[in-house]
Amino acid sequence: MVFLGQVIAWFLNPAHWTGSHGVPTRVLEHLQISGIAVGAALVIALPIGIALGHWGRGGLLAINVSNVGRALPSFGILVIAFEVFGLNNTPVLVALTLLAIPPVVTNSFIAVRDVDPELRDAARGMGMRERRVLFEVELPLALPLIMAGIRTAAVQVVATATLAALIAGGGLGRYILDGLGQRDDVQVFAGAALVALLAMAVELAFSGLEQIVTPRGIKGNPVGRMAVGVVEPRLF
Amino acid sequence: MRSFKFQAFLMTILGLSLIASACGTSGGGSPSTTTKETLTFAGFNFSESTILMDIYGKALEAKGYKINYKANLGSREVVEPALASGQIDFYPGYAATDLEFINKGKGEATGDPQATTAKLNTYLSAIGAKALDPSPALDANAFAVTKATAAKYSLTKLSDLAPVAGRMVLGGPPECATRPYCQPGLKSVYGANFKDFKALDADGPLTRAALSGGQVDIALVFSSDGDLDSRGYVVLDDDKHLEAADNVVPIIRTKVLNSEITSIFNKISAALNTTDLRAMNKSAGIDHVDPDTLAATWLKQHGFTS
Amino acid sequence: MGPLLDATDPWIRWDWFWLHVPVFEARLLEHVELTAIAVVVGIVIAAPMAIVAYRWRPLRDPLLAIGGLLYTIPSLALFAFLIPFTGLTVLTSEIGLVSYTLLILLRNMVVGLEGVPEEVRDAARGMGYRPLAMLLRVEIPLATPAILAGIRIATVTTIGLVTVTALIGEGGLGQLINEGLIEDFKTPLVVGTVLSIVLALVADLGLAGVERLLTPWARRSL
Repeated sequence: MVFLGQVIAWFLNPAHWTGSHGVPTRVLEHLQISGIAVGAALVIALPIGIALGHWGRGGLLAINVSNVGRALPSFGILVIAFEVFGLNNTPVLVALTLLAIPPVVTNSFIAVRDVDPELRDAARGMGMRERRVLFEVELPLALPLIMAGIRTAAVQVVATATLAALIAGGGLGRYILDGLGQRDDVQVFAGAALVALLAMAVELAFSGLEQIVTPRGIKGNPVGRMAVGVVEPRLF
Repeated sequence: MRSFKFQAFLMTILGLSLIASACGTSGGGSPSTTTKETLTFAGFNFSESTILMDIYGKALEAKGYKINYKANLGSREVVEPALASGQIDFYPGYAATDLEFINKGKGEATGDPQATTAKLNTYLSAIGAKALDPSPALDANAFAVTKATAAKYSLTKLSDLAPVAGRMVLGGPPECATRPYCQPGLKSVYGANFKDFKALDADGPLTRAALSGGQVDIALVFSSDGDLDSRGYVVLDDDKHLEAADNVVPIIRTKVLNSEITSIFNKISAALNTTDLRAMNKSAGIDHVDPDTLAATWLKQHGFTS
Repeated sequence: MGPLLDATDPWIRWDWFWLHVPVFEARLLEHVELTAIAVVVGIVIAAPMAIVAYRWRPLRDPLLAIGGLLYTIPSLALFAFLIPFTGLTVLTSEIGLVSYTLLILLRNMVVGLEGVPEEVRDAARGMGYRPLAMLLRVEIPLATPAILAGIRIATVTTIGLVTVTALIGEGGLGQLINEGLIEDFKTPLVVGTVLSIVLALVADLGLAGVERLLTPWARRSL
């Protein structure tokens, strides 16, 4: 109980909310790096996953990229990237983007591929060209599952961005690592709590987005929810 | 039918793993039939500490002890509590810094290694540990800048920092922000109030990269480092003697201490010197010779092993 | 370009490599042990929890929520918290690792059980199966694909997480990575990372094979 009191005191201390080591700065650093990584991953992964799903090709690759992705140890990738790119944000971005790509590729592939073939046939039968079939039929139906993949990726990235501290980076991991070095358990706890809260907030935000983009007709479809994204493998 | 196969499968996995875990946990330190026990030795997270841990450890192994090594365990903030709670039996300490750590920064350490060690022992006895004789080998905190920075601000000694510190960023391991011999000490003794502090590592590649790359202007290094010159770093002189007698001193739990260990360790400590440390650090840092190879070589050269 | 990428430290120094093969073997074994314990203990804890969540609807969401909560805590922090209580030991690492496998296994087990078609359950009830028999002979076998998928994901994930335990003094292959970072030495870094990836892929393929063996009727999508 005393410990919890100390943690609350840490949060109530105004010194922890100002300056380059303050909570707002750290949260911003954390979100910034996470955001860039997820953005980069989307730019790379969405076109690949959607295209493969649309043509129904490369399924083995699209699905197994997730398995390979899970097999990468973020800690090792990060340090290797540090040796190559030096002491800046690039190593963290590389590691996080690699982390975010697999769930997006796999989910968007399965989402587009599993659109009811009858609907696709009907659209083509109506004379729609491939582009319209993709954008007006497949994508809207695939969107919930794609969003689930993005949600998975985002939460994983936010949790793993904690690692940036290992190579002198910023973000909320700083509190954890510095607290460990200084044997300041209160700081460690505060840092961990902040990351957990941030991850939960991101999860909720994307869940909300998912709900918004789910076409009313298939809301409440158990397949939509019981998706590949139902289990989020933690890599850090 | 299938459910039986499945149940059998589950049973097998459970059984195998129980066996595996039993094997795993008993492999560590089984009591031997000889009177020499298994000890757990640890070191801090920089290579010099690993080398020292290996030197003291291998000397005992040559006498029939079994040593469990936990290298790179962490900072003193991790290692000392581990000793106090009995999870480890030994670590190679540094007299002044260990004293100021355990007395919570009272400022009792001096430039006299004997007096500092004696004072350290008054605190260590409370946690069931003892520091043996200090070695002439010294490795104190030092602060380095690049040649360019030294030229820019005309820095040769730490006293030169006070007027310009506000424009500089200090780099060091996370604990530097709270340790009396680091950031707080620079402020109180030298009046150096830095613009910012960047947490790096304990004098490792992150520190080197940050100092050379300009992300920090001044960084904590260790005085026995072997590569400071070759990297073009200038160590600022500690003219007001912030850093005290950081002589190497073996710190061991009294429960496992006996006259044989005391005698061997004191002989080793007496034979170690700062030149040796620098040479070994250089080998480890630049040529990546293994710490335990360096330790074995040193022990052989000094007649502790054959 | 990293300022430390110098020619005297190639990505693999082969002389050092061959000298240290026994060390790599030892670390690999440690890594496998740590993973196996985490997954098995995770199964042992998750299985009864999953059955409870499946049978008693009101408990389902809270149980899944607890697992989900544990999951958002960064592993480094979770390990760090346990240290004051359980020390720098394998136990600390395992408690952390198990709490992560718990969610993966729990979710997959629950979803798997819930996926058993109602008609099959009705038929079984009609044939006179009582709840325990139904669980053991009908529901669990049919949930096997999902359960095995969960074990597979949990195993591969844990292999990656074990590397992080190096930062609290344990760690199998993570020790090699950590050594590489502290000593600025690329060889152990590369070896640790590559071995960890290979181990994960081998485990994944192996378990995929087991999945295929045990559930030949299941439609394979992952």
